[in-house]
Amino acid sequence: MKNSSKLHKQICEYLGCDLDSEPCKQIQDYLTECPGYKVYVDKIKKTVSLYKIADKYDDIPEDVCNKLFVSLNIDNMSRSGKESGK
Amino acid sequence: METKTQLTEEELVARAQKGDRQAMSRLVIDYRSRIYHLGLRLTGNEQDAEDILQETFLTMVKKIHQFKGNSSFYTWIYRIAVNIGLRKLKSKPHKYQHISIDDPDFEYISSTETAEWPTFDYSRVSQKHFRKKLDQLIEKLPDKYRTVFILRDLHELSTEDTGKILQITPSNTKIRLMRARNFLKEELEKLVNTEALI
Repeated sequence: MKNSSKLHKQICEYLGCDLDSEPCKQIQDYLTECPGYKVYVDKIKKTVSLYKIADKYDDIPEDVCNKLFVSLNIDNMSRSGKESGK
Repeated sequence: METKTQLTEEELVARAQKGDRQAMSRLVIDYRSRIYHLGLRLTGNEQDAEDILQETFLTMVKKIHQFKGNSSFYTWIYRIAVNIGLRKLKSKPHKYQHISIDDPDFEYISSTETAEWPTFDYSRVSQKHFRKKLDQLIEKLPDKYRTVFILRDLHELSTEDTGKILQITPSNTKIRLMRARNFLKEELEKLVNTEALI
């Protein structure tokens, strides 16, 4: 594996950026000859994907929502079917 | 508020600042899930997540008139939630011994990175015990790294906005994110090798 300081800096930038951004793609192209790097990036992507998927399974409980609106002393507009779905 | 479903966030905020309770309700609806998840990932505890949710929106209702619009509303509300969450974390003993990933070596790619992971069975994530394993790993991260990982990778905020919320530079945000990702990858690697979780 190449490990020059310049390359290292680029990789640091890459890993802190969006993984599908253009600079990341360019670095990825540059490093296509480095199998260890490809394996590494693949693992990072899978790691992030796992956590993203896991995050979607934990819904906000309804009673928590209800208590929230009571504590704020405002009406829950979503009860009238006007929730934006965000 | 007759046309509230078509109002932009900017308009909702402006109305809420004038005391419009329906506009406030809309803002709560729009952000409640994100703030709850943020609290849950930050603290790993449902009760704490609920507390963060309530405190965040109570603060919003109380201080929305102070919001000047210098940043986006979501940056403002996230900053409130993160500050409440971090304060809560400081007041409690950590469930797990945090590992130290401040060492610059954590920025290097391991030279032994050769073995690929098998194809993931993402449906495993629906299993509660599997998610618990993932939660345990993320809770081992020191707060400053976990927070960046949650904001950048789970809530998909930009590097700039994450930096603004945490009041750190974009470079610092990137380094923290990279170290957090590296740590979680390494820990998942152990699970893959020892427990065939994937």
